[in-house]
Amino acid sequence: MRGVGGGFGGMMGGMRGLHSGGMNSPTMDNLSDDNALGAVYNNKVVLRLISYMGPFRSDVIKSLVAVFIYTVANASIPGLIMLAINNGIKVGEPWSFNLFQWNILTIPANAGDFWSWHPLHFFGLGFLALTLVHFASNFFQFVFMARVGQSILYALRMEMFSHLQDMSPSFFHRTATGRIMSRSQSDVLQLQETFEMLVLALADVLTLAFIVIFMLIVDWQLALVCLSIVPVLFFILGYWQRFARRSFMRIRRAIAMVNGEYNQNITGVRVVQSLNRQEENLEHFKELNQEHLDANLQASRFSGGLQPMVEFLIGVGMGFGIVLVGGIMAKGGALEWGVLVAFALWIQRFFEPIRHLTMQYGVFQRSMAAGVRIFELMDLQPEVNDKKDAIEMPPVRGEVRFEDVSFHYVEGVEVLQNINLQIQPGENVALVGSTGAGKSTLVTLIHRFADVTEGRITIDGYDLRDVRRESVVGQMSMVLQEPYLFSGNVMDNIRYCYDDASDEDVINAAKAVGAHDFIMALEDGYETVLAERGVNLSVGQRQLISFARAIVGDPRIIVLDEATANIDTHTEILIQEALSHVLEGRTSIVIAHRLSTIRSADKIVVLDKGRIVEVGRHEELLRQGGVYSRLYAINYGLSYENGAEPEGGSLIPAPADND
Amino acid sequence: MNILLRITRMAYLYRTRLILAYLSFFIAIGFSLLIPWLFGESIDRLVVITNTDIVPLNPANSELLILASLLLAASIMRGFFDFARTYTTDSLSQLVSYDFRNQIYDKLQHVSFAYHDKEHTGNLMSKATADVEAIRRYVNMGLIRSLEVVVRTIAVTSMMIWINWELALISLVFVPFLVVRSTLVMNRLRRMWLHVQEVNGELVTVLQENLVGIHVVKAFGSENFERRKYDKKAQELRGEYYLSERLQGTNSAWMSLYFTFALGLIVWFGGWEIIRGDLTAGEMTTFLLYLNQLTFPIRSAAQIINSFSRAISSGRRIFDVLDSSSPVEERPDARPMGRSRGHVRFENASFAYDSRSPTLKGVDIDAAPGQVTAILGAPGSGKSTIVNLLPRFYDVTGGRVTIDGEDIREFTLESLRRNVGIVQQDIFLFDATIRDNIAYGVSNASEEDIINAAKIAQLHDQIMSFAHGYDTWVGERGSTLSGGQRQRLSIARTVLVDPPILILDDSTSSVDVETERQIHQAMVNVMKGRTTFVIAHRLSTVREADQILVLRDGQIVEEGNHVELMATRGIYRDIYELQLRPQEEVLLDASLAGGDGGDN
Repeated sequence: MRGVGGGFGGMMGGMRGLHSGGMNSPTMDNLSDDNALGAVYNNKVVLRLISYMGPFRSDVIKSLVAVFIYTVANASIPGLIMLAINNGIKVGEPWSFNLFQWNILTIPANAGDFWSWHPLHFFGLGFLALTLVHFASNFFQFVFMARVGQSILYALRMEMFSHLQDMSPSFFHRTATGRIMSRSQSDVLQLQETFEMLVLALADVLTLAFIVIFMLIVDWQLALVCLSIVPVLFFILGYWQRFARRSFMRIRRAIAMVNGEYNQNITGVRVVQSLNRQEENLEHFKELNQEHLDANLQASRFSGGLQPMVEFLIGVGMGFGIVLVGGIMAKGGALEWGVLVAFALWIQRFFEPIRHLTMQYGVFQRSMAAGVRIFELMDLQPEVNDKKDAIEMPPVRGEVRFEDVSFHYVEGVEVLQNINLQIQPGENVALVGSTGAGKSTLVTLIHRFADVTEGRITIDGYDLRDVRRESVVGQMSMVLQEPYLFSGNVMDNIRYCYDDASDEDVINAAKAVGAHDFIMALEDGYETVLAERGVNLSVGQRQLISFARAIVGDPRIIVLDEATANIDTHTEILIQEALSHVLEGRTSIVIAHRLSTIRSADKIVVLDKGRIVEVGRHEELLRQGGVYSRLYAINYGLSYENGAEPEGGSLIPAPADND
Repeated sequence: MNILLRITRMAYLYRTRLILAYLSFFIAIGFSLLIPWLFGESIDRLVVITNTDIVPLNPANSELLILASLLLAASIMRGFFDFARTYTTDSLSQLVSYDFRNQIYDKLQHVSFAYHDKEHTGNLMSKATADVEAIRRYVNMGLIRSLEVVVRTIAVTSMMIWINWELALISLVFVPFLVVRSTLVMNRLRRMWLHVQEVNGELVTVLQENLVGIHVVKAFGSENFERRKYDKKAQELRGEYYLSERLQGTNSAWMSLYFTFALGLIVWFGGWEIIRGDLTAGEMTTFLLYLNQLTFPIRSAAQIINSFSRAISSGRRIFDVLDSSSPVEERPDARPMGRSRGHVRFENASFAYDSRSPTLKGVDIDAAPGQVTAILGAPGSGKSTIVNLLPRFYDVTGGRVTIDGEDIREFTLESLRRNVGIVQQDIFLFDATIRDNIAYGVSNASEEDIINAAKIAQLHDQIMSFAHGYDTWVGERGSTLSGGQRQRLSIARTVLVDPPILILDDSTSSVDVETERQIHQAMVNVMKGRTTFVIAHRLSTVREADQILVLRDGQIVEEGNHVELMATRGIYRDIYELQLRPQEEVLLDASLAGGDGGDN
């Protein structure tokens, strides 16, 4: 799993580098910088992470017990060897087993026959037992750790995703998708790794402790001599850590730059080639790559430099500690040679956990930073919340009322002001206004993308805020300017969240919007799998599918937000014809750029700077000669005249220019 | 095998490092063999000391001091050469991956569009990251470590056999099984990891689609539906992850089991031999320490074996890129094109992405210098293909394209593309300032030229309205420009290169009237004096072209200017009328409204 997690984290890390760290990149969201590395230990993060272990308490305890047993077993292997040497490897004499000063067992002499009882066999069998305990605890340590780690990972993922579902669209508008992605993917993975690392670090610390304890018990004087070098090691490590940390950060930055440049070069290759930038790009890339190389070499020098250090300390411990001092102490049998062997094995085992712990330093740091980022995101309050006593919306008839509605994102900058509007069930309303007049905001308020800041919106008399959002929104639908398809086949895309719609319902919806024919012409009809967001379909075809999706649930209220703006003329005409049937009997609110749609509306609402300035039918409004008639002339009249008027700047130079 | 050889050849470029790495691990192994032996010798002496009452460190016993010093010296030397081995190995593997990165990068920016059409960005990225990493590991583990492991294993094993072959046999007999077992487990793990990655990829897709399509989610109130979708994948992933971790843990536990068990066997049977007098205490100690030295080689054996198979598959993927022959190749005798007059001809030009379905069939176009050619047609009719043939983003598969009478394949790509500017439909901005983006094609452009280009593209005023002006950061991590601004930036970029031949791929996205007017003006400015091809979706931009080509299924079905085509009552006229009808209605309404519509 290290491989997978690490590899993925690496890639995401690269992407993360791409999204931040820009000199003047504006951060509109209120999330902190993604690349900041914090403290090695953050109490809040650790406590909160531990709170996630709650539900898996028994597994956590089991894994801790396994870790404890494992480390004891691990550290006692040299001890058992010592006991075997000191007490088992004896010739001729009758044998008695002494554990320190107590006599445990006495056995008569063995003449030299392996198959008859000898004290050595006792230790041999003891070793078998220890091996089994060691194996079992080692195995269970992994199993329980993995189980808890994965459960926490899962819980974090779900909580994060679930939380994101509650956030309002304006949050996603402010926050780059890449940043949210990296928080909910690599940061979450990092936290899970943290948990497993905590367990492993605990094992390391325990191992160290047990080794020291055993050494002290066996011979505290020799132990002190051998361990006297350890403080030196810690001192050096502390010093080394600072440099190592810097060099690892340097690698991270460098690889992010390299991957970013790669990505940009691949996605922008068409521009690169058409503008002949290859040579310069390669030079630039080589510089980035060189920096990456240098950073790695530096890191290699740092991490490699520890090796001679540790070897030196082992040499001192074994040579001068055990051989010389041990030799002095051993005179006249004061110290048996088994002790010396055990000490040698302990010293060798002593440095492995230390090395391991130092390597985890950087991981710790990254984890704390990841934790801070994740919990920061999770703690953001959703802007739209269901009330605790929100009720289920009964079947909707389709009456929509705006009562004195005002709305703003930022205090003082009103997007909508004192909107009063009444839409009868089945009525067809067109919203008209120039860019920024508040049309889109108005329609999204019906879907409760945000809550009104003043006044109220009711549907069939129910204030939107008094009913559960899902129960009312589920009975409406919306088609946006940009068709958006999910991966999967056509059938899944049209059915989308209406799980109980049958295949027949889906096909009927497609027929109703005029999508059936082209779908059937696809390779596998409704089973055709769409490529990345449907890029193998034309924009018009994609929009037809999203139209079908919008009516498959038989909504009473439909909102169309410039739904045909990006479509080629052929498809648009197709859709226009279908639409008139589809909208029949439903309340529809349409933001349209197409004249015919507006002209046939039951009611035209003209918005200007967040206010409703005119309401009426097409002919009425034109006769009034107000805002509508002017807008109308600009949008539909001038563009025509523009093409014909030479002084407006004709796109195509007159033929005369060429001759 | 060839693939490994080729990677090895790349490493051979740095043979000094390679030889140094081999040399240093040989020496390091030599020293590490000394340590257990020296310690064993010491133990033998110490056993004597414990049994007699000799006071250590008197001149007769200076042996111990010598042994201790030798132990320390051997440790230091071993540490030093270990470091040398690590550093030479790391730097060698980093250098090889450095070379690979550069090569892949350069190759990718030179292969033709056809290649990029086929390959997903994600796939190419993973070649540049994960596959290069696999190669680096191979150089490190396969090329150097593997040999080290073999040498060390043989050396240590020989030493053990030399000391006591029976004991060696007893303690090492399981090793081959262990290595085979863990190699098999490793293979299984790899497959599991691949699967985990797949599931993870699916999970990421759900997440990403959810985030990008959050408006759809909100519009349908389908949050719980999405939660269920994500939950299903997350649970699956949890299960798969857990299984692979457990397998890994099991394998590691088995390894430990063996080493603990072998230590026990050595003490048990070695102890017995000491009792019988066939083995000394020091020899047994040496034996124990040697077994410790085998831990690392045996534990990493599976990984090393694995690195070979990974390097083969990753190497294949990388060499696929490096060896791919671009269908658009410069001829060896290609010559540079001077500034062209701008006479472009397509002569019976055909093109097919694959042999089965040609996208262009025998197209003939003659565009005189300075002439404007508009190309019309439904999506997929071949409009983009035509204009992509001109800068040789693709090469014709039949017929030819000429500029000023000469086949464009006669020229160097660089000089050809300097003559053919293109404003593409999906405008790509680089992660850089506006200034750098405009000057992307002309690196030594003066500030004045850049501003001038921006002015021609009707973008200067808006740039100046940004807080950082031309230093505003755009692209992935910068502030986003609107579609209209991006398009004009792309025009400015092309203007700066000043190509005599120009391709404009007009965007379909609807923009408001003011933007429309500005883009329009920019296009008018930039077309002056250039042979221009316009792919137009707005008929108003087409009407006055010198020639209009209507494409259908890769063939030109109608050709002529606006007036001529209207007269033929063909497709052009149909399309024209479809869009014109609403505009006529406007006229009607305008009269209804009292004819004051045009005032604003």
